[in-house]
Amino acid sequence: MALAAGLLRPDSGAVTVAGVSPIRQPRHARALLGIAPQELALYPSLTVREHLRLFGRLAGVRGTALHRQIDQIAQAMCLTEVLDRPAGLLSGGQRRRTHTATALLHHPRVLLLDEPTAGADPTTREALLAAVRAQADAGTAVCYITHYLSELDTLQATVAVLAHGRVIARGARQDLLAALPSEVVVQLDTPVPSRVVHGHHDRAAEGRLLRIRTHAAPVALGELLRDLGPDAGRLRGVEVRQPTLDDLYRSLASLADQPARAPRSDAA
Amino acid sequence: MRPDLAGARQIGVLARHNLLLLLRDPGQIVAYTVMPAVLMSLLQPLYRAALHHGPAAAAAQDAAGMVVMFSLFALNVIGHSILSERTWRTWDRLRATPTSALELLAGKAVPLLTVLGVQQALLLGIATVAIGLRPAGPAWAFIPVGLAWSLCVLACGAALASSARSHGQLGTSVDIGALVATCLGGALIPLSALPAWLRSVAWVSPGYWAMAGYNAALTGQPATRLLPPCGVLLAIAVAAAALAATRTSRAQGRNRHL
Repeated sequence: MALAAGLLRPDSGAVTVAGVSPIRQPRHARALLGIAPQELALYPSLTVREHLRLFGRLAGVRGTALHRQIDQIAQAMCLTEVLDRPAGLLSGGQRRRTHTATALLHHPRVLLLDEPTAGADPTTREALLAAVRAQADAGTAVCYITHYLSELDTLQATVAVLAHGRVIARGARQDLLAALPSEVVVQLDTPVPSRVVHGHHDRAAEGRLLRIRTHAAPVALGELLRDLGPDAGRLRGVEVRQPTLDDLYRSLASLADQPARAPRSDAA
Repeated sequence: MRPDLAGARQIGVLARHNLLLLLRDPGQIVAYTVMPAVLMSLLQPLYRAALHHGPAAAAAQDAAGMVVMFSLFALNVIGHSILSERTWRTWDRLRATPTSALELLAGKAVPLLTVLGVQQALLLGIATVAIGLRPAGPAWAFIPVGLAWSLCVLACGAALASSARSHGQLGTSVDIGALVATCLGGALIPLSALPAWLRSVAWVSPGYWAMAGYNAALTGQPATRLLPPCGVLLAIAVAAAALAATRTSRAQGRNRHL
């Protein structure tokens, strides 16, 4: 974020914002940006409206357009009721929404949001995600940093996974998850017989539960039923769990922690 | 929009914003206006006793000294104003808007410049009523001196705030620096009462040049006598502003204390 805003110079390489260099043309580049860093940046004595007015004016929005956009973003972020309340008296969720609203207000070309839902309540999260989705639909390029990976499903985003400051995987959600196995969880009414686990690296028993990691759940289940033989009658439940982005992150991060075995980023 | 117009507009937006912040918490400004007015009246008998050039000279020393000393403490106002923004993370947030470092600093300085102008005019006005100050020169002579001194104070405050790592560090620097500059410049104790070795190095203090400027304006010296003190004060202001702008454009707001 600091590099995109031209607040820091890159050690190597170059960053451009919609084709504009923040080092050579900082004013132009920053005018294209909407930024909400992870740490809240609010004046305790200023009201929500005064914050929106300040950052709107600095972004070049004025007059009736400013009033209209303040009303719009306040409504979208569920802030209408507290527009004239000082930031110091807002709840944590309201502060987070105000902070993010200062970045969204002027409909930037590029929007950088760093963990906008950190510590947010469900209302805040829903409002933020809907507002971000609406800006993306209107043509804004959104870079959304989060540890809550389920939000990326809601946003239907292209995913880039970072570990130790490097992008270790990037692509559409379904493409990234295609390489991961599903998990078939089978429940029996007695402990899992050791013979159905022995020699199968993709199977793990935990008491009455058997977990199978597989790319072909129906085939794996058929093989298990065959291996269970007469014990198949003790089967009490089967659940097929599709891989999630959390699984992807855990998988990639564990690989990234082992440099010798780490995959190339472009192969992830 | 032309870059110079865009810059002026950003400064205008920021000046309005900073004035609002000042008005929401005006304690320091009120204190730095009331305290010198009180001290001025209390110290007048001492100056009359210490200076043997008559009551007019004592009033001039008293009034100029209080104006210089307490506008110097305005270092605290701009310093803490900038440092508070760093604490609130709003400084980096503002830096990420289409605004240059110089515009950010100018936006801070413009309302404070107005406040300092009002403070100095009020104190000189109070001095004419309370301690019998009778300036021998024209009123306009105070404008260049007051402006140069205020710019110098604000730029130095901004430079200190952009370099300080904590409120404690800033407070210490400002308190010690303001006291040394005040005393060495002859604002609290007349230069003639200082030891000879201190008088010989007094010129290194910006307070010395501010006192020289105010004394020239009060005693009705020709305009050319205003130029050296104003020139020195403006040179210090330019150097300090350049340092503050460089620090602001390059620095990261985060450190272990903020």
